Amino acid sequence: MSVGFWEILALLLLVGTGLAVVRLQNAVHAALALIANFLVVAGVYVALEARFVAMIQIIVYAGAIVVLFLFVIMLLSAASANVGQDLLPRLSWVAGFGALGLASVLIFAVTRFQPPANAPALGGGLPQALGPLLYDPDKWLYALLAVGFLLLVATVAAVVLIEPERIVSATSHPAHPRQDPKPNPPTAEQKDERAVVKR
Amino acid sequence: MIWLIASALLFSIGAYGALTRRTAILMFLSIELMLNAAALSLISFSKLSGSLDAQVVVLFIIAIAAAEVAVGLGLIVAIFRRRETTGVDELRQLRG
Repeated sequence: MSVGFWEILALLLLVGTGLAVVRLQNAVHAALALIANFLVVAGVYVALEARFVAMIQIIVYAGAIVVLFLFVIMLLSAASANVGQDLLPRLSWVAGFGALGLASVLIFAVTRFQPPANAPALGGGLPQALGPLLYDPDKWLYALLAVGFLLLVATVAAVVLIEPERIVSATSHPAHPRQDPKPNPPTAEQKDERAVVKR
Repeated sequence: MIWLIASALLFSIGAYGALTRRTAILMFLSIELMLNAAALSLISFSKLSGSLDAQVVVLFIIAIAAAEVAVGLGLIVAIFRRRETTGVDELRQLRG
């Protein structure tokens, strides 16, 4: 694989936006840097003959997931990265060294990879090439169904999680005493209606 | 091969962020970066070895990341309602 101008530019953009994601002090800026990172990755996917995955990357990752992050950051007003007090203020260089060690080990590992001499063409990674694999019972069909079920379960779990009162009151947590909403007493009109029904 | 090195660098940057960030949302952003680096390495292996299966796996990674973000952000919102903070240093009532 040739390394030209565009490869170097994309590599610099990837590393730069990645460092912005982990270093910026405003969470909204970090999430926007993450969108930029995902868009560069989608461009790399197109260059690597994975066009369908690139489109899904833009739609789902940059479009839906990061927007969900931005929504939660703005909902909670939690844009500042400096909360509380740093318990280990002088030890962040340990994390830096750990990351450098991890990077060197990973680069050592991936450069050992010997690609086969004549790799078959991928057909551009278009849906016409991916669909038969995705819906083949001998390949990925059951995994696809399992992932669909997992998405359903995750959606239900998210809805249940952000409604804590109902769940907690079932176990009568002391911080959240059971609240049994009394049904409203029937209004005069409803009484009239019942009377009409009786007649 | 350069994309494999790029994915290794991105994964390490994400690990650094997950170790140094102090709010749950920003740790979560760093973990998304690591997931994305793994997907990038799968796509470059797919290109190098000429197999489309890795691209299918990347589609699954994206779907599972969506499910994970839904549950994780629901957890963060629930914790914030209860404790008024998302700082992971203050959420330590499980410590013995």
